[in-house]
Amino acid sequence: MSALDLSLRAQAAAIAAGEADPAELLDAALERIEQRNPAINAVVEAFPEHSRAMLEAAPDGPLRGVPVVIKDEWPLPWRAQRFGAAEMMAATAPGESGPYLALRDAGAVIVGVANMHELGASSTGNASVYGPARNPWDSERCPGGSSSGPGAAVAARLVAGSVGADGIGSIRFPAAYCGLTGLKPTFGRAAMAGHHMDGVSTTIVSGPLTTDAADCRLLGSALFREELSGGEAGGLRIGVIRDAVSEDVAPEVREACEAAIEALRSETGGEVREVELADLDAAALATVLIANVESLGDSTAGRLNNLDPEIGPINRGFLKYRMLLPAAAGVKSHGIRTLMRRRLADLFEQVDVLAWPTVPAVAPPLEAPLVELPSGTLTADQANVRGAGLANLTGIPAISVPVGLGAGKLPIALQLQAAWGRDELLLDAAEALERANGRRWVEALPPLAEAEPAGA
Amino acid sequence: MEGPDRAEQFIPAGLAALGIEADETDLAVMNAAHAMFWPSIRDLLAMDLGQLEPEPDQDLSRAPDQR
Repeated sequence: MSALDLSLRAQAAAIAAGEADPAELLDAALERIEQRNPAINAVVEAFPEHSRAMLEAAPDGPLRGVPVVIKDEWPLPWRAQRFGAAEMMAATAPGESGPYLALRDAGAVIVGVANMHELGASSTGNASVYGPARNPWDSERCPGGSSSGPGAAVAARLVAGSVGADGIGSIRFPAAYCGLTGLKPTFGRAAMAGHHMDGVSTTIVSGPLTTDAADCRLLGSALFREELSGGEAGGLRIGVIRDAVSEDVAPEVREACEAAIEALRSETGGEVREVELADLDAAALATVLIANVESLGDSTAGRLNNLDPEIGPINRGFLKYRMLLPAAAGVKSHGIRTLMRRRLADLFEQVDVLAWPTVPAVAPPLEAPLVELPSGTLTADQANVRGAGLANLTGIPAISVPVGLGAGKLPIALQLQAAWGRDELLLDAAEALERANGRRWVEALPPLAEAEPAGA
Repeated sequence: MEGPDRAEQFIPAGLAALGIEADETDLAVMNAAHAMFWPSIRDLLAMDLGQLEPEPDQDLSRAPDQR
C-alpha cells in the first residue's frame, strides 16, 4: 500500500516519525493525479515546482509534508482563483489567501487546485469551465457541488484531505455524494481572508473534506488555527424533525439515516428527541436569496450584457434573473434569519445536535441531475438546499458523515448540526458514529480507488 | 399578484428597466428560475415579521443571546 492511502493523520505521523519521505509522498500524489484524475477531473491544475517549493520551506507543523488540494475558490501566490468559471463577476488576482496561509503554516503541501461548479452555483458539480468533475463511485454521477473537485479528489484518494468552501451546503453536498466527512464550520471560525467575498458574504466559510472525522479534526484545526480538541459525545441528545428534510427523502436514505441515528444514540448512551422547527422552507429560500443578493455588488447591466461566451447557459440566465429579485424579499430573508437563529438557540437548549439526511437522495446523473422523492421529481438543487441552507443562514456548524451505500453502491450521508462554536462536538459525534458502525462507511472505497493503477 | 404565469411580462419588463439584454436561452432559463422561485418568494413576502424583535449587532459566529 502506498503511504498515499494512509489517512491524513497517519501520513503526518509517518513523516514526523521519519517513516515516510515527504518528497516521495509528493511524487506519489502527483503520479496518482496523473493516473486517476483523467477519469474524474477533480484536479484542474497541478504545479509540481510550487509544491516542491512549499515542501522545501514547510515548517515543522502538524501537517508537515502532507499533500492536499484546495478548491478553485481561493487565490494562491502563484495563481488567481477562477471560481470554476470563464469569468468571475468579482476581481481576482494571485495572493496569499487565508486557507493557503493556514495550510502553509501547518506544513501542508498544496499539490493542486480542485475543480468546482461554475460560480459556486449548484449542489451538483456538473458544470465548470474545466468540464464537470465526476464522482469516483460512478463517473456518470454528480460528485456534488460546489466543492466538486475537493470531494472527488479525496474520494479517489488522490490526496487524503482537501479544502472547500460552503455558502449553501457546498462542502456537505460533495461529502455526501462522495462518501466523505465534510465540516461546515461555525461562521467566521475558519480561514476566509482573500476570498473574493470576504467581508461581504454572511454565508460562506472554508472547511475540510476528508475520509473521516479524525482527519477532519486535524485539517480543521489547521484552518481554524486552533486545536479542535477531541472529547466524548456522551449522553448525546439528538434532535430529529418530522419535516420534509427527514421525510421527503428516498426510502434507502431514510432507512440508512434512521439506523445511523439509532446507532449514534446507542453508542453515546444518549436519547433521540422529536423536536419542532417551523419554516425550514422559508429558511432555505432566505439562504438562497441572501447569498445571491450578497453577490450582486459587481453586477451591472454592462457586465451582464458582455459576459464571457464560455459562461454556461444556466448561469448566464440566472446572473441576469437575480437582478430582478425584489428588495423586500431580501429584507424578509434577514428577518427569517433572525427568527431561525432565535428558534435554534432555544432548540439547542433541548438537544445537542440536530440530525437529518445531508441530501435526500444519492448522487444523480451528471447529464440530468434530478432526484426521485416521495413528493415527486425535483432538481437536485431544489431538493438539496432544503436541508443545507439553515446552517449557512444562521451561522451554526454542520457536518456530513457517510452512513451507508444505496442500491447503486452510491454513498448515503447523515448531517449533524450543533449550536454556534460546537464544531468539536460534531466531530466527537461523527467519531462516535464511526465507532458504532465499525468504521464501515468511512473506510469504504469507490471503484476508482480500489483499482490499483498499472505499474503502481 | 405576480405569478409564474406572468413571467413573460415580469421578466422582459424588469430587464428593460435595468437595460439588461437577454437572448432566447437566457429567457428560457429565467422563466424556469421564475417558475421555481417566485411562488416561494411570494409566500415569503406574505409572512408578517412585523412583531419580530431585531437582533442588534448580529454576530453569526455566536448564538443570539451570547453577546
